[in-house]
Amino acid sequence: MIGRRGKALIIVYVAFLAVLLLMCSTDLIIREPEREVYQVAVIIEDMRSDNYSNFRKGMDQAAMEFNVDVHFITLYEKLDAAQQMELMEREEQDGADALVVVPADEGQVAGKQMTIPVILLRSGLTQGAVTGNIIIDYEKMGGQLAKEMLKDIPEDASIFLLVDREKQSRADILFLKGAGTVFTGKGRSIEMIAKNGDDGGKVPLESLSKRTEKKAVVLAQNQEILTEAAGVLANSPEAAESVLGLYGRGNTMPILNDLERDYITGICVTDDFSIGYLSVREAVRVLEGAGSPPVVMDSYYIEKEDLQEPGFEKLLYPIE
Amino acid sequence: MGKIKILAFVLACIFLVSCQGVRKEEEKTSLRIGISLYRGDDTFINNIRSILEDKAKEYELEKGIKVTLDIQDAKGSQNTQNTQVERFISLDCDVLCINLVDRMDASVIIDQAMTAGVPVIFFNRQPVEEDMNRWDKLYYVGVDAKETAILQGQMVVDLYEESPETVDLNGDGVVRYVMLEGETSHQDSLIRTEWSVKALKDGGVPIEKITGGIANWERSQASALMEQWLTAYPDTIELVISNNDDMALGAIDAMERAQVTGVNVIGIDGTTPGLEALENGKLLGTVSANKELYASAIVELAASCALGQALPEEYPLTDGNYYWTPQEILIHEIKENP
Repeated sequence: MIGRRGKALIIVYVAFLAVLLLMCSTDLIIREPEREVYQVAVIIEDMRSDNYSNFRKGMDQAAMEFNVDVHFITLYEKLDAAQQMELMEREEQDGADALVVVPADEGQVAGKQMTIPVILLRSGLTQGAVTGNIIIDYEKMGGQLAKEMLKDIPEDASIFLLVDREKQSRADILFLKGAGTVFTGKGRSIEMIAKNGDDGGKVPLESLSKRTEKKAVVLAQNQEILTEAAGVLANSPEAAESVLGLYGRGNTMPILNDLERDYITGICVTDDFSIGYLSVREAVRVLEGAGSPPVVMDSYYIEKEDLQEPGFEKLLYPIE
Repeated sequence: MGKIKILAFVLACIFLVSCQGVRKEEEKTSLRIGISLYRGDDTFINNIRSILEDKAKEYELEKGIKVTLDIQDAKGSQNTQNTQVERFISLDCDVLCINLVDRMDASVIIDQAMTAGVPVIFFNRQPVEEDMNRWDKLYYVGVDAKETAILQGQMVVDLYEESPETVDLNGDGVVRYVMLEGETSHQDSLIRTEWSVKALKDGGVPIEKITGGIANWERSQASALMEQWLTAYPDTIELVISNNDDMALGAIDAMERAQVTGVNVIGIDGTTPGLEALENGKLLGTVSANKELYASAIVELAASCALGQALPEEYPLTDGNYYWTPQEILIHEIKENP
């Protein structure tokens, strides 16, 4: 038999358990250290993430340093702004604290009203509802590349701009515009050759010899078409015979390999690792209440011999 | 007194249950998959990675379930991969897809996954059987290395039977070959080397090995080896057997530099650069896994595991845990002169 004292002890024990339960559940005793993890969704304009390799490395570095949970989202259709904006809404509803967006259409995406901070990677500073901007001046980059090309190419060479009109982003248009302005400013005539023309979707380098009696110099609008053009030069002696030099922008592994193998003559690149890093850092700064002034990124011209330069090596093959 | 005992018992039970946490099953509307690659710059793995992204999007569109892929590159370090797995688990990934760096060292990953109750789909680099048997939520997606090797040998056997002179280039009745091998620690490397040669012998092709070397699946290493062999054995090599397409391309690079033509080169994997070389006639043939099915199997298995659903019937498992992807021979069509 349990006496009065025993009963009292049981009641005290039960009450103690109940209080302990309440205190545990309200974090009064065991308080987990508060370590806020920001959720940042990165939505690019592409269907593939391959072109964003160094960008992702930079983002991952910033994610570790700033305690951010970054997830990367690609589109079902390239350059589909409507879908990109749907994904922005979806991520907001799913609890993202901030978005980093490489816009499929700068005008539309920049104008989209969101309740969470949006860091936009864009080609120029225009009005919009976004919170932060990382700016890559593609027009300036095109001009820079054209100036470098003019140093190398003979006076009598024909200059062709290789375009893919069906998959032309604002960055591509600005890049070509910048190059075109420099060429025409120096009195050089330029001619457009379209990928989706008579050659049924192929890069028409083989037919250049029919279009000009002079040697041709080709500038590709973006990294995809540059890679394709390099592939044509690698596999077609006829094309290689008629093309004196192939130029473009981008620093994917296939492009760098083709530069090393002399299929590509020169490229303009940006520091993608830093762009990825800064985009996440800016998102965190905004979330922590700091302002986010626009960050303008530089571009660099490189040729084969520059690949081994320590400065460029670090930029092109960053180590996380 | 009885009432007090019952009250004490009930409260104690409530306390214990509360401490353990009652997990309320809810229907999932999103999935988070943590993927760690042994090396992101491996051409085959890079191909699979791209298709995985496509398949995840297809799944998302078809099922209406949001799929987030966290893809990390372990850069050939098992320690890095272990840390990545730890992070995936801390980020509440529902399932892990792991391309092991060291197939003999899966225990840390399995321990972490078992503790967190997160299923694991290993792919491409097969953990040892003892590890796979540790838990019923471990799966493997890959290709049957023996089948791959036999198919690789078979393509040369078929060609030899059809026209011996296309394989025995100098017509002396012996096909002299060099062998480019992958990493020694990869299960497929040893099996591919052994069984491709066995298939050639069994198929009646008179072969003689000149030399061989380990190029660790890498184009540049294979290129360097081939350069040495071309100098050491001039006008002797008739066939290059490579454990993968990247190394086969390395051998082709070396031959182009040395302006050597006519040597037959065969690879495995059917990577994008490999298929380009096949189309151009630089590569005689390759054995390709159905990469669409390979990646689909990984995504579907991962999603089923994460959602607690039955595993899809389209991907029949061998021994309950293994999915072997179908493979095919791809050979360059030799156009005869009119």
